[in-house]
Amino acid sequence: MPVLCSHLSVAYGRRPALTDFRLSLQPGEIRGLIGPNGSGKSTALQSIAGLIQPTGGRVEIDGRPVHALPRRALAQKLAYLPQQPTAPEDMTVEQLVRQGRFAHVGLFRRYGPEDEDAIRWALDNTGLTTLAERSLRELSGGERQRAWIAAALAQQAQVLLLDEPTSFLDIGHQVEVLDLVHRLSRERGVAVIMAIHDINQAMAVCDAISLLQKGVLMFDGPPTALADSGLIETVFRVTGRFVHVADGAAPHFDVSLAQRRSARH
Amino acid sequence: MDRAIPSPLPRARSGWLLLSGCLLAVALSLPMAVLLGVADIPLSDSLAALTGGGSAMARSILLDFRLPRVATGVLAGINFAVAGLLLQRITRNPLADPSILGISQGATLAVAVFLLFSVYRHAPGGNTLPELPVAWLPTVGTLGGLGAAGLVHLLALRHDLGPMRVTLCGVAIGALLHALAMGVIAGWGSTRIEILLEWLAGSLYARSWEHAAFLAPFTLAGLTALPLILRPLDLLSLEASVARSFGLSYQRHFTLVLCLASGLAASAVGAVGPIAFVGLLTPHLARFVVGRRRRLLLPVTITLGAVVVTAGDLAGRLLGGAEEIPIGVVTALFGVPVLIVLLRKTP
Repeated sequence: MPVLCSHLSVAYGRRPALTDFRLSLQPGEIRGLIGPNGSGKSTALQSIAGLIQPTGGRVEIDGRPVHALPRRALAQKLAYLPQQPTAPEDMTVEQLVRQGRFAHVGLFRRYGPEDEDAIRWALDNTGLTTLAERSLRELSGGERQRAWIAAALAQQAQVLLLDEPTSFLDIGHQVEVLDLVHRLSRERGVAVIMAIHDINQAMAVCDAISLLQKGVLMFDGPPTALADSGLIETVFRVTGRFVHVADGAAPHFDVSLAQRRSARH
Repeated sequence: MDRAIPSPLPRARSGWLLLSGCLLAVALSLPMAVLLGVADIPLSDSLAALTGGGSAMARSILLDFRLPRVATGVLAGINFAVAGLLLQRITRNPLADPSILGISQGATLAVAVFLLFSVYRHAPGGNTLPELPVAWLPTVGTLGGLGAAGLVHLLALRHDLGPMRVTLCGVAIGALLHALAMGVIAGWGSTRIEILLEWLAGSLYARSWEHAAFLAPFTLAGLTALPLILRPLDLLSLEASVARSFGLSYQRHFTLVLCLASGLAASAVGAVGPIAFVGLLTPHLARFVVGRRRRLLLPVTITLGAVVVTAGDLAGRLLGGAEEIPIGVVTALFGVPVLIVLLRKTP
């Protein structure tokens, strides 16, 4: 199993950020991580990526504890993209994407044909081939986000952790990123865990969804079961309902703004 | 993989041109720094002196004074520039230079304390530099600088290393050491302040082959280690979580680069004093020159470091006449406008 978390707990000082979190991820699965701001989505991703030390429980990547793996060995298995990462403004897209190959080339090995192919493939799949020589400062926010996704893709890991990859993108680019994630999982068997704010996008793309509230896992299962649970309304403190759109498609959550309006009057 | 996709990776063609330009700058500035100076020596006499002939005076001035001075300047310039580049990278702060980690201040304090004690131990009546054990100054300064950097590193390590921690610790330690150094100097008595002031301004005055020999191992070791950290340097310019998930052992490489930068900067400060702006400015100048050809940044920084210090020292000697202007003053006077222009040109 690519990723397995059991009884995972993380605390920042005395404040618990994640309590008894569990997750198991199959190859090719897309897992959505949803929950209100501050519910522990990023903390969960960071501990799976081995970036923070959990206070309890364990994370296994391919059956090995994540903290037992050297960083480079881990990077060959798992790629992680935080929210809005930053890079030097004079770095070009190609140079950034090239960093994704460090896991494979290490300190000294020359970039071989498979590395150049991976870079080209990552640029091509994010639609950045023609922008490869641009420096990051010349890019729009959406293009920059895609450049980072390309860098993670160049890593060619079988597990991809994305922290709100579609935030700050326009709707067109959001769909592009989600399509790409979908294609990766179906064509290459990449397992994806993605923190995401848009519930309907999560419902449409993910095979399974984990719902977090104040660091506690409230739900873990397929999107249709989440729709039936009624948890979205209580956890996010909104009123709305799930609407059946089409056969085979995930139901659509229709949030009601009526209460807010009446409260204003 | 589809080979028909046009390669997005064209190699920069003008790279060699750029490098040759830099080497030309070295080839021009070094001989000028050797051949020109306060003492007017005819060109033929100078050339003869360099090849073993010439007048005794020319030989003495060129071989005993100017050549070692230029050599010291070149080595110190390289050390300052490379240290500045490394520090700017790992602190992710374009304003980083040897003083941001307290290296300059640590060296200053060490030199001040050393001079204070040696005055009372060896030469209670001595008021001039030659009466004091000045040969030890580079070593003392270097140790002081390294000590300060080590302290900063230890403090930052306790809070999990990171650009912000290191910078804040460096600034705090630097301020403390600076205050202590000023205290020592103030309590010292006015007559001997001049000795320290000369060192503090950053000067190549009276630098001998010993200074060059002192610096050479640091420069050599630093330059040899650079290929080791070439790829980590790129990754260290990203935030820690990203660099680590790309596969970098962040702490190990952060520490390695920090040690390298500290050794380079501390040795340079020890040998020639805290020359202002070379460590800060040269990497920016190099970045401006290389543009997107980032792989040329290191070689260009190295050559520019050598050129800036050599040219700055030459300017100080020629403009100041017999009372030469210390290079630290020259680099500050020229450095500030250049920095402002560079800032305006980079969006």
